[in-house]
Amino acid sequence: MTNTIAMKMELPKVPDIELVALNGLALLGKHLGIADDKIGEARILVTEAVINALEHGGKEHPKVEVEFTMTSRELTIFVRDYGKGFVPSEVEQPDIKLKIGSRNKRGWGLKLMQSMSDDFRIDSTVEGTKITIKKKLV
Amino acid sequence: MEQPFSLTSELKENRLVITTSGYVNNVGGETIAKEFNRHFEKGITSVVINLADSRVVNSIGMSFLLEIIEQLQGVDGKLIFTNLDPAVEKMLTIMGIFQFAGKASDVAGALKLFH
Repeated sequence: MTNTIAMKMELPKVPDIELVALNGLALLGKHLGIADDKIGEARILVTEAVINALEHGGKEHPKVEVEFTMTSRELTIFVRDYGKGFVPSEVEQPDIKLKIGSRNKRGWGLKLMQSMSDDFRIDSTVEGTKITIKKKLV
Repeated sequence: MEQPFSLTSELKENRLVITTSGYVNNVGGETIAKEFNRHFEKGITSVVINLADSRVVNSIGMSFLLEIIEQLQGVDGKLIFTNLDPAVEKMLTIMGIFQFAGKASDVAGALKLFH
């Protein structure tokens, strides 16, 4: 039987709070005996998901909910913000050739999450955005 | 917990080597860019960024490094990353950074690439 462990946290909008989520991720991984190098890409996914949610979350609810469900084979990352939402298909894909020379060099979060995950889902409404990411750990 | 960001820099044969430690977030990225600019203004156009002790980075921090690439392009300079964590290397690859910057396993290897 596969051992499943879960953790849920609510993070306020304070600088570098994503490191708290990363610390939790590392502890879960250690508990399940997952080698640190196996969660390297998961670290980036969690970081990008949390900073993205904090940046686009609403001012009235400056917090994000983060949930990890982890087995020795797979990690599910769930991040929810309470911002005004967005239409994923309307988000322009960043292109480094265009970014270099432009004033806005940011906007890489969604592309990174889509590219580094094994499954990536966005559910965005005017009441906020939920992102669910699956990442294989083997 | 990841350590707070810090960096050291040194000149080796007129090449700037910036070695970071800790989380490269927006503040870390901006600090790297400022350190680069301090030397770039004095004519340094060959740069190594050693991320050996920075296993956690974010895309906002990396965006600041695009400014370095942009400035070096204007003077035919070169940026090389070293000691990359595999996940960070994948991140930079997805961003397309290696179309404009090099990578090496360590600083010594990077310095050889300038010859």
